[in-house]
Amino acid sequence: MRRVNVVAAALLLAGLVWALPALSQEDMKTVPNAAFGTPQRSAAVFQHDLHNEKAKLDDCGACHHGDDGGKPDPASPTPGQPCAECHPVDAKGKTPLMRAFHRQCVGCHHDSGKGPLTCGECHT
Amino acid sequence: MRELYEFAVGPMAWAAFGVFLIGSVIRLISMYSLARKKDGPFLSYMSWRFGLRSILNWLIPFNAQGWKENPLVCVTTFVFHLGLILVPLFLLGHVVLWDQYWGFSYPTLPEQAADIFTIAVIVACLVFAWRRATNRTLRFVTTGQDWLVLLIAFLPFLTGFLASQHVGPPLVMTTLHVLSGELMLMAIPFTRLSHMIFGLFSRAYMGSEFGGVRHAKDW
Repeated sequence: MRRVNVVAAALLLAGLVWALPALSQEDMKTVPNAAFGTPQRSAAVFQHDLHNEKAKLDDCGACHHGDDGGKPDPASPTPGQPCAECHPVDAKGKTPLMRAFHRQCVGCHHDSGKGPLTCGECHT
Repeated sequence: MRELYEFAVGPMAWAAFGVFLIGSVIRLISMYSLARKKDGPFLSYMSWRFGLRSILNWLIPFNAQGWKENPLVCVTTFVFHLGLILVPLFLLGHVVLWDQYWGFSYPTLPEQAADIFTIAVIVACLVFAWRRATNRTLRFVTTGQDWLVLLIAFLPFLTGFLASQHVGPPLVMTTLHVLSGELMLMAIPFTRLSHMIFGLFSRAYMGSEFGGVRHAKDW
């Protein structure tokens, strides 16, 4: 019985080690840019948890917003859903991925008076 | 610095484009009325055919006599103007701003090509400066404004290149870049940089007179 407990505890620990970073995005260092194919600039530096701690962001919907008839809706958060799903790289008549990223990041930095504004501050 | 950057990409950008566009229109109208007053008859021999013929012939490297006699000036001038037009309009970092603020975009230069054109413009400016300083004939006709406009054209490319290569603090370098670009835009209508708006008309005027009146080439 004791052996079973030890194995169960070990499995649980291993599972946590694997799952926690995935849930907390602690290992995220840059904005995912795979959708762009061969991007010309380096991926924008972005440490998810550190950023949100500094920016005092608890509400996922602030960035992972939902859709309200073509307008961003922060009230229906969509964490875990890749941005490119609603914002394809070539979104004719909608907001394409690059514009969505730039407006989301720079727009908020502009409005809040904090955070990087120029190309070289994120694309290092 | 943050406030200065926000000012440069906000109200100052509107002012710079406004001064450039409205200033250019005013300069074109006033130059046209001055030309009519001082040399009215030129309107009768202005010709699309001779005008465009002259423009086209001067646009071919080593075609005009002036280009043949000065190969260095020919190469430098073509490279300089090509970069001066292509890089500001088709640089990725510039089109991204149209996209971000206005929601439209268009094809851009590959970053490497933009780097090469930018370095070429910087080198061309140095060649121009070296000629102005060392060529006796050129020195005789050079005024302070010639140095000033060379500096005004040089600065946006130097600061833009440094910012793109991450030399110095990005916010400071980008702010200097935006401000120097705006200085250049505003200087275009009111300095010798106005050949950007008058150049083709001057060439067409010369071509029309040489073609239609003197029956000679002007290239």
